[in-house]
Amino acid sequence: MRKEVEQGRPDGKDTWPEERLRGFQFRKIKRVLGHAYQELPFYRRRFDAAHLHPDSVKSFHDLARVPTFTKKEVLDEMKKKGTFRTGMETFNSADQAVLCMTSGTLGTSFLYLPKRWRSLRGDSLARAYWWGGLRAGMHMLMAAPAWHSLAVQESRVIERLGATCVIPWGTFLPRFAENFLTTLVDTRPDFVSMFLPMLYALLAECRRRRMEARLAFDSVQYLLIVGAPMTPRSREQLKEELGVRDIFEGLGNPEGLTAMECSFHRGHHIFADCCYVEIVDPKTGALLPAGKRGNVVITSLIPYGTLYLRYDSEDLGEILPHACECGRTWPLMEVYDRRTNTVEVAGKEIVPYDVRLCLDDFPELIGVPFAVVRGEKSAPYLKLLIQRPATGDPSGLGARLRALLRQRLQVDAREEWTEELPERWKGVAVIEEKDWGTPRV
Amino acid sequence: MRPFKQLLRYALGSPLLKKKFGGLATDIAGFKDFSVKIPLTTLEELVAEKMSSGDPYASRLCENGAALVTLQLEYDTETRLYIALSRQDLKRYAEALRRCWSLLGLGKGDGVAIFDYGTSPVSYLASSAFTPYLSQGAADALGCLPICNDGVANMSQRAVEILKFMRPQALFIRSDCLEPFSIESERQLGRLSGYTRALVVTENEGCLPKVEQDAYEKRLGLPVYRLLRIDAGMFLAMECPECRLFHSWKDLYYVESVTRAGDDVDEGGQNYLAITNWFARVCPTVRYLSQVKGSVYSAGCRRGPVDIRIAA
Repeated sequence: MRKEVEQGRPDGKDTWPEERLRGFQFRKIKRVLGHAYQELPFYRRRFDAAHLHPDSVKSFHDLARVPTFTKKEVLDEMKKKGTFRTGMETFNSADQAVLCMTSGTLGTSFLYLPKRWRSLRGDSLARAYWWGGLRAGMHMLMAAPAWHSLAVQESRVIERLGATCVIPWGTFLPRFAENFLTTLVDTRPDFVSMFLPMLYALLAECRRRRMEARLAFDSVQYLLIVGAPMTPRSREQLKEELGVRDIFEGLGNPEGLTAMECSFHRGHHIFADCCYVEIVDPKTGALLPAGKRGNVVITSLIPYGTLYLRYDSEDLGEILPHACECGRTWPLMEVYDRRTNTVEVAGKEIVPYDVRLCLDDFPELIGVPFAVVRGEKSAPYLKLLIQRPATGDPSGLGARLRALLRQRLQVDAREEWTEELPERWKGVAVIEEKDWGTPRV
Repeated sequence: MRPFKQLLRYALGSPLLKKKFGGLATDIAGFKDFSVKIPLTTLEELVAEKMSSGDPYASRLCENGAALVTLQLEYDTETRLYIALSRQDLKRYAEALRRCWSLLGLGKGDGVAIFDYGTSPVSYLASSAFTPYLSQGAADALGCLPICNDGVANMSQRAVEILKFMRPQALFIRSDCLEPFSIESERQLGRLSGYTRALVVTENEGCLPKVEQDAYEKRLGLPVYRLLRIDAGMFLAMECPECRLFHSWKDLYYVESVTRAGDDVDEGGQNYLAITNWFARVCPTVRYLSQVKGSVYSAGCRRGPVDIRIAA
């Protein structure tokens, strides 16, 4: 008798042998290269300028000859043309489609996302939610910021996995934490998908209501968190505080990247069915091997809608050199921060995440807000501003922290304790020394 | 079977409605009888019911198994209220939005921008891409290309970027974002008419006053219309560009203008709008008394000869 397949159970692609996976990805890359050259003027121009024809790309190594580009170039193209249609998208007015946006300090760019894009990317993302424990019949809390491509994918994931959903009023800004917490308590979801800063805002709202977080999250089995990196210790502390079975961290961007932790939490598996990731040296553009940090360059393998091909996301990340104990063959990666949040100290590039890992070694400092202070030039030592913890002697802690930073990061550090740091939003704040007191959030 | 008979039959699956008119449901002979015998349901009643029962749906929910999407509603009440929708509910609710867009003249190939939260029906019913289990949003049905900004007033800059690079046919905008957006667009774009054809101001259980509407039209140099939402009743009505009354649809809603006590008001009299929703099966709405003052007019506009018309 045929065994019934559980709704939404992913196929076995994530355990394919490396050779088979690479062959599969390369065929997809060839397809998007051909599509870009034939259909998309933005790329055709760039290929021609680089004297490159897609047929000449015969290996992954050859792909590195395709010029990378950044968001600034997309925005420049939009300004030049006066329209969101930059020639990076296959536009068909007969398509059922939506426009979504990417936001950021540089400006807003647009993604044209037809139904076929949603099906492919959403079905791929369904695997991530499956890994995270979402199953048919479960009730999921989702935010609905329809301007963001994640909403477009999540709506597909819920259908595919056969879950039901509840959507709180508002958007994922801390000032809507009250609505989110009430929704959680009122409708008791099994699964929650949320931005990490919003989760911290919910915890603050629990404290304001004098409500135990465990009680608020009583029904929740699993959390899927995106939007900012979480250290292993902060995950453990959150798990303990919320009483959930597990917390998974997802990585992604609308341009093409999906990567997700499995239950081993050894890094983020790159979703090889819809994206190809390279790490490049930001100065030379050379490919970097696994274990080396550099800029994350993304190639979407979905030839519909807006296509990002060797897009330099200007995120600082690395492909991890180890294999995952889960047995899945999709490579592991880590993204640490935006490259613009790098601070140069004694000739070394440090990101706030490196500091967070050290802070989290001290139970009193887990989750305590801090900021890295950046001067105009490379500093001889790392300057930190840390919110004074509720308990413990900061001076004693400071000495131990400095020792740990020296040992782990090979830099000297000086810390200053402050009563309160502004609420963080995306990632960890970096304060410019010249703007002391006005942190970027 | 008359629509109210069918409605009352399934509405009895809702504990709240059963409690309110369970014994009366079988005796209703016609619309007049319906309006006289079936009591109104108020927002205050829903709040009180939620607080006493602890049920997020204020005991409105029936056919629990079919509820696929639950939405927290935009009411500034002591406790938060929710509605739940099935596939069929979503489909019909989105049909109401499609008719609003059609009345405005939107059609194939048009861009439509929305400056509202993703949780507003103006946003989540726009596209099947925004909401699980919605088979066809307004944009899908009409062949439009939608884009949604967040409904936070300080996202006005991003709304201006949308106009600049998309040039949509219409911008649907929350009433509390209208002033910040106007300032930002005046600063960056000058005359708005070069970037879009019309603004549509939306609000839950409220309408932009006519005098403000006229002032914005003059100031921005383009038509400003209004879209009426009554979210607890899953109700939408669109101001007609021709007769400037709100149009609604008999196959989707039954609209009455009543006093707070529930008495009927003659055509042209100003009172509160009470909504009966013919399609909502999971959270039925029977004579929901809104906070919107308005009167019901007879059909007769060229743009929708059989549509219900409302002045609000």
